[in-house]
Amino acid sequence: MIKKIKDERLKLQNLQNIRILFLFENIAIIGILGYDLVTKGMDGMTANPLWYVFILTGVISAYLSMGISVDHESSKKSPKKGLVISVIVSAIIAIVFGGLITFTGDISTGILVGGIVFVSFLVPSIYIYFLRTKRQN
Amino acid sequence: MKNYVKIARIQRELTQQQLAEKVGITRQTVSLIEKGKYNPTLKLCLSICDVVNKSLDELFWVEKEERME
Repeated sequence: MIKKIKDERLKLQNLQNIRILFLFENIAIIGILGYDLVTKGMDGMTANPLWYVFILTGVISAYLSMGISVDHESSKKSPKKGLVISVIVSAIIAIVFGGLITFTGDISTGILVGGIVFVSFLVPSIYIYFLRTKRQN
Repeated sequence: MKNYVKIARIQRELTQQQLAEKVGITRQTVSLIEKGKYNPTLKLCLSICDVVNKSLDELFWVEKEERME
């Protein structure tokens, strides 16, 4: 029977092993996707379910590292000010993207793309805002 | 880092295995702590102190000059 590990040193060792496994898996995924890119082209690569695994891992990793970088920040600026700036910047980027699409295509696609871009920038900004306010308390 | 776990353990007439069982870790970890090759968490340090009936200072305090060894 496998006993639950209580020894803190072994738990730490286990985490370090998982880090090596993560590296190995990532290298393997990148290798497989690279192979697909060479043999089947860009569309063939993105059709592979591993592509979604790779992209999602990237997104999760970005969100997790936000929690670390917030602690690492040295400036004492107010979280609200940061959020307002982020929302304004997201809106500007969304308008630029939406505008460009509208000029080249139709307005509904422009609004859709602009909306998606806005939400994609807004969600991390709100998350950072929550992390910052939580840290201040 | 240098510590006095081994001396305290011998004073209490405990083997590494016995100390390990009382604290809930493996014998190998006790050995590494005694040799100063593993830095235990404060929680584990306190558990060891409880078992050998010594204070944190008595077991783990080393002078600044000796810490780098």
